[in-house]
Amino acid sequence: MIRMILTRLISSFFTLTILITIVFFMAHATPGGPAFSILGQKATPQAVEQLNQKLGLTASLWRQYVMWFWHLLHGQLGYSYLLNRPVRQLVGDCMVNTLALYASAMLFSVTLAIAIGLIQGITWGRWPANLIRLLELCFYAMPTFFVGTLMILYLSVKWRIFPTGGISSVRISDPGLLDYMRHLVLPVVTVALLGTASLSYYFGASVHEELGKDYVRTALAKGLTFRAVLFRHVLRNALRPLVTMVGLAFPYIFAGSVMVETVFNYPGLGYLLWRSALSQDYPVISAIVLLIGCLTVLGNLFADIVNGLLDPRERYE
Amino acid sequence: MNDGSVLRLNNVSVALRRGRGDMVPLLDQICLTVNQGEMTALVGESGSGKTLTSSAIIRLLPRNARVSGQIWLGNTDLLRLPHGEMRKIRGRDIGMVFQNPLAALNPSVRVGAQIREAYRLHTGESDHAAWVRACELFDEVGIANAKKRLGDYPHQFSGGMRQRAMIAMALACSPKLLIADEPTSGLDAILTRQILSLLTRLRHEFRMGVLFITHDLSIVQKYADQVHVLYAGRSVEWGSSEAFFNAPRHPYSRALLGALPGPGQIRLTAISGALPDPEAMPLGCRFAPRCAYHKAECDWCYPKIDNKGTTSVACGRVEDIVSVHPPKGMPSPQYFRSANDGAVILKIEGLGVDYRLPARGILTALTGGKNSIRVLDDIDLTLRYGECLGIVGESGSGKSTLGRAILQMVPYDGSVIVDGIAFGRMTRSRRKMMRRRIQVVFQDPRESLNPRMRIGDIVAEPLRLAGEREYREQVRRLLDRVGLHARILDKFPHAISGGQAQRVAIARALAAKPAVIVLDEPTSSLDVSTQAALLNLLKDLGHQDGLSYILISHDVAAISYIADTIAVLRSGRLIEVGATAALLAVPGAEYTRQLLAASFLYGKKGTVQLAVAPNSGSMGIPS
Repeated sequence: MIRMILTRLISSFFTLTILITIVFFMAHATPGGPAFSILGQKATPQAVEQLNQKLGLTASLWRQYVMWFWHLLHGQLGYSYLLNRPVRQLVGDCMVNTLALYASAMLFSVTLAIAIGLIQGITWGRWPANLIRLLELCFYAMPTFFVGTLMILYLSVKWRIFPTGGISSVRISDPGLLDYMRHLVLPVVTVALLGTASLSYYFGASVHEELGKDYVRTALAKGLTFRAVLFRHVLRNALRPLVTMVGLAFPYIFAGSVMVETVFNYPGLGYLLWRSALSQDYPVISAIVLLIGCLTVLGNLFADIVNGLLDPRERYE
Repeated sequence: MNDGSVLRLNNVSVALRRGRGDMVPLLDQICLTVNQGEMTALVGESGSGKTLTSSAIIRLLPRNARVSGQIWLGNTDLLRLPHGEMRKIRGRDIGMVFQNPLAALNPSVRVGAQIREAYRLHTGESDHAAWVRACELFDEVGIANAKKRLGDYPHQFSGGMRQRAMIAMALACSPKLLIADEPTSGLDAILTRQILSLLTRLRHEFRMGVLFITHDLSIVQKYADQVHVLYAGRSVEWGSSEAFFNAPRHPYSRALLGALPGPGQIRLTAISGALPDPEAMPLGCRFAPRCAYHKAECDWCYPKIDNKGTTSVACGRVEDIVSVHPPKGMPSPQYFRSANDGAVILKIEGLGVDYRLPARGILTALTGGKNSIRVLDDIDLTLRYGECLGIVGESGSGKSTLGRAILQMVPYDGSVIVDGIAFGRMTRSRRKMMRRRIQVVFQDPRESLNPRMRIGDIVAEPLRLAGEREYREQVRRLLDRVGLHARILDKFPHAISGGQAQRVAIARALAAKPAVIVLDEPTSSLDVSTQAALLNLLKDLGHQDGLSYILISHDVAAISYIADTIAVLRSGRLIEVGATAALLAVPGAEYTRQLLAASFLYGKKGTVQLAVAPNSGSMGIPS
């Protein structure tokens, strides 16, 4: 197990290096540049030249790359061109928000998906499962921005239960905690709905599949109740595809976060990535991509470790 | 009910509801008895309803099923029990052993825990007591080093051991009745024999009744006390095993026995046709459409049950049949062909195959540490024109790997020489050409036919590859040669039966005009009666058309029926090679002797007693 984790970590180091290299060159290859974003479209060529010199963008691309990588190895992510703040601080702040949003959304989705999936798996082929399937399809097909906008329209604007957004004005200190959570509700529900819809369908299908296997018949023939068979034998085996899905969901979460965070004006990584990409704020883009890469690798590793714990056959390979 | 019976089924019928439609009757009025300390064999081909019977007994039928009749376990009618009571019976009074123990055991729970669970559930004992019991059970079923093995997972056991563990689990609460549902299918001959002996010992020891469900009549004779033959959901013949094997009375039983392959048989009885569709069962006798003794009244009269003879039979024409064709022993004349001195078509010299293990770490991979197992070593074989070479061995002996090496599908050392040219010395393009000279037929015919192609196109493909234009007529001829009607041309593989699919695979192999065909377990996924027809076909293709082929199988009986030469393989080495007759008569190696002893459980060695049903073609059909 430990050998597997070490091997995986070493190989992911190479994966990540390739990833950020590609992103670095792609970001620099796009026309325009940060100077225009900072100085505006009508900036004089002299002013642009001057700023580029100041930012160190006049050196050859390779040299910039080597410098950047060298700083990275020393834990320095540089400064944002646009906001003039250390990238580490900027990304760190946003990551806390994003993690709060997605960790709670994930927790909700997985718990709900297991409950719904069990019902769906047990009643497969009959009306409760069919009804669940229909709902899952509806929510799965609904775009995030549409769900988010609907919720803002009804729950915030019309009935005034939850705030429309603006979590950035709230601090996570003791008196503000409740308020912070109130701000979280709508974005979390929006993300969780989509997550639940896809996870519960896959989990339901795998519960159904496991229930059809021979060992279930063996367990029933021993005299176990159906409930005991379900929780002692089936659940553990059925969870494996779900764990893999959750592990793989990490990158999609960040891809999807751009949308949700924009709708709710939520200062997370997705929102930051979107803005940095528009203004070609190279250091920030690279840092976020690196972070997403790391989380993806860790997510997959996590899935493999949990699957190894669930299934002894995975451990010996 | 103190007649010594443990289980008595009285007119048990099961019907399934299909969608919203009608009830489809699947089991019809089954009466069956299992006595204390005895074994009753429930025999039938796939679709006969034997597994449904066992599910009905422990009441684990699908939810759309309806059962009627009585199932007496001692003095309780299981069908009248409330659910809670029935659950207590399962595992405590009735133990179950299923086919394919790898699937039947939970892969992610330790074997010991699965056995303890069964014991604690019904006895309420402590975990430690359950552990002691599990150790005891492992000793009982012959698993050495019980304490350690209990902590293993199912995938760490070998096939035979898994089935022993499964039996241990079923025995946990010392049940009165053990239901073994195809416990030996998928195991090789020697393991099958071991498991059957184990079951026999256990039932004597614990005075336990055993209901043994199987499709394989050949393994039943030695071990069962009673035999009960099912066909299409109905009992066709039942009685003591001795009487049944001495003189089977029902046409179906006789045909089944005639379909069992063995050495020195001239022809196997193939049963024509297929099982009736459950939704359109014949009104009268269900076997009537395939019966050689069929008469008009059979079509509409419920078959009369005849209790007067040695066995009970559900057939109105028993008297006529017995008088027309008394069962007789088949002579085994100088049937085997003498050693063929035709031209050598395939020669294998010093062939060896290494299986590379996946690298265990980066370091070992870089330093090139020794990471391979030799799965085949020093194999020398010769195949002559028009000959059939049979390769037998238990699972894991390397017989399939040998087939793949001959087909150039795995890297090997040594040489494979076809038509006098060694594969190793060929240029790449020439090798590609020569590969066509060796064709293959796999075990699972459906898996090996492309589901999106029509049968006609599948057979035509090798012809088209060879650049032939006018292949339509040839495809027809090929299908005709393997005994298929041209109607099948436009069908897709899912629409034809397993036996037909295997014939298509053979036709496809023939289409490439090969020098040699390698058949890897071609009949082991088929029912007995279908298998017989296919073996007959292979025999004809060899003897009449001069086809040379290699038949790989774990089934010694099937191989001895058609092979001219038999090679015995064990752990990657050739144990013995010899002409079939000689090898069967005087096996040289101890291992061969064991294998033969385990394989011919039915009939006497060499001369298998046969009841020849008249539909084998040469004899007339009685009016």
